[in-house]
Amino acid sequence: MSIKKLEPAALNRWVDGILQKQKVYGIQARGDKFVFDQLDRADQLRLDYDVSVTAPKAFLQPPCETLLRFGEKGFESVVESEPFVLFGVHPYDMAAILQMDVVFAEGNPDIHYLERRKNATIVVCDVQNASENVFAGCMGTAVLESGGDVLVTRVGSAYVVESRSARGEALMETIATAPVAGARDLGERKAVWEKNRKLLRRHELKVKPEQLPALLEKSYDHPVWEEKAKRCFSCGSCNLVCPTCYCFNVRDTVSYNLKDGERERVWDGCMLAEFALVAGGHNFRKKKAERYRHRYYRKGKYLHDMHKQIACVGCGRCITACVTKIANPVEIYNRLAEGQK
Amino acid sequence: MSKPRVAIFDFACCEGCQLQVVNLEEELLDVLSVVTPVEWREAMSEQSEEYDIAIIEGSITRPEDEERVKKIRERAKILIALGACATTGGVNKLKNNFGMDEVRTIVYGKDAAMPHLNTMPTKSVAEVVKVDYMVHGCPINNKEFTYIVRCLVMGKQPVIPNYPVCVECKMRGNVCRYEYGEICLGPVTRAGCNAPCPSAGFWCFGCRGYVDDPNVQAAREVMDKYGKTVEDLKSRLLLFGSKQEHTDE
Ligand code: SF4
Ligand code: SF4
Ligand code: SF4
Ligand code: SF4
Ligand code: SF4
Repeated sequence: MSIKKLEPAALNRWVDGILQKQKVYGIQARGDKFVFDQLDRADQLRLDYDVSVTAPKAFLQPPCETLLRFGEKGFESVVESEPFVLFGVHPYDMAAILQMDVVFAEGNPDIHYLERRKNATIVVCDVQNASENVFAGCMGTAVLESGGDVLVTRVGSAYVVESRSARGEALMETIATAPVAGARDLGERKAVWEKNRKLLRRHELKVKPEQLPALLEKSYDHPVWEEKAKRCFSCGSCNLVCPTCYCFNVRDTVSYNLKDGERERVWDGCMLAEFALVAGGHNFRKKKAERYRHRYYRKGKYLHDMHKQIACVGCGRCITACVTKIANPVEIYNRLAEGQK
Repeated sequence: MSKPRVAIFDFACCEGCQLQVVNLEEELLDVLSVVTPVEWREAMSEQSEEYDIAIIEGSITRPEDEERVKKIRERAKILIALGACATTGGVNKLKNNFGMDEVRTIVYGKDAAMPHLNTMPTKSVAEVVKVDYMVHGCPINNKEFTYIVRCLVMGKQPVIPNYPVCVECKMRGNVCRYEYGEICLGPVTRAGCNAPCPSAGFWCFGCRGYVDDPNVQAAREVMDKYGKTVEDLKSRLLLFGSKQEHTDE
């Protein structure tokens, strides 16, 4: 696997070359924030961004997608996907995508997600500027030892570009003759990693992530659930911005001949009042506090019980997104831990 | 199956919602392939005494209108309230913040006492008769309207969101107005419009009315976090929330 060193101009040339051949969704500025959107020119890239408004999951599981079309003669599955490059994903978001990979592949494999995932080449980029609420450093996701196809790290005024898969190697074909990153560059990259592990901690989690399941185990009746949920809008913002939230709702629409139609799925979230409403009118989590608690259990325990991973990568988006400021996982987990001492 | 007969009636409103229906343009022909209009003042001259679906646009603001809408209800199998004026009373409820004599004087000046200018506090359609389905918004989202029509023709229950506008706002990848220190009513307002206002950089005015269980109290409590006061929130709620349940509790 190659490790190259590229000056900014060389990086731009490389990206412009990719743009000639493939569709690229790259991180870029929109107003005073950053978003992943189709890239026209390499110089639009903002690898110095802090956090994207929407998590890159939107390119693998779009907010709304058609699953199948039906009619009198039966139905056919629809998989809308073509090869693309996702450029500039931060390590914590990549960690979230690796979790989604597990979720969508197990049991009844989800062809819609998996097909898109197969079509995606992901260029991960190490964080240069910490966002307002990031705490990836506490979750072990500030830096990612593996995952994604290429890793780009800013060291000094240049970039170290490393391929991490055969697909990444192919993407780097056009820079095959670029200088190899030397021991000094790799040393500097290591320093960036050390720094990120320390700095991406705008909130300090006082317990180790691996202690969360046990902590939650004992906290089911903690007063914090009721107390905080009083201020909850059940608006789902904390779910929808979360890179590890993948819940969806399925709905059918029928055309004017009243026979043909489409089945589509749209993002859903466990904080919404009717999320757990089932046929017959029963709602498994009717109370706000039950839904509020559920989200923390889901992140810190339930998914860990299944996949041995904490389903929070510390991106901090929920903290920013929650209008009433009650969605901060660190605040809640620390509060639960307090009572334990 | 024979096509359901549909009649559209307007009460106190700007008729903007009917205009949204007319604005369907080509799709209007599709709509007409599944229903037959039998009375529609804005688009045809005929009148009818029989209809399967009555669509009511506008608020009820006079005693004689109350009688008229009751008669319509008697004749209709299904009754739909079209637009905020009909579903919640909409902007017409601003009037309910004043006394009726005062309102008449402000609007009609010296003619205020004329009997034909009689007026009463605004009511939504549901405050007078049973409403089967609501098409929310000021104006309505015409795609939602046609979806509801197709559901009714098929005998299916339309699914109208009971979650806040924030859901659709987030799906569209918007930055929250609160991040810019603006009061947005999205967190307490029923979605279904696809969040056009925050997507265009404006706060949500709450035109679709509240979700079933809006946490207005949480909105009040959070104002100081954004350098705003409860009074600021109240003035924002005035346009579509005047004299609505939940606004002043
Ligand atoms: S729970 Fe919050 S901080 Fe954790 S991954 Fe989700 S959005 Fe990010
Ligand atoms: S915790 Fe905050 S963001 Fe999440 S549903 Fe409640 S109010 Fe919305
Ligand atoms: S709801 Fe709005 S657009 Fe529709 S009739 Fe009333 S005022 Fe006009
Ligand atoms: S802008 Fe308004 S609708 Fe959008 S997320 Fe913020 S509060 Fe909700
Ligand atoms: S965003 Fe709010 S004000 Fe705008 S259409 Fe939707 S409900 Fe109405």
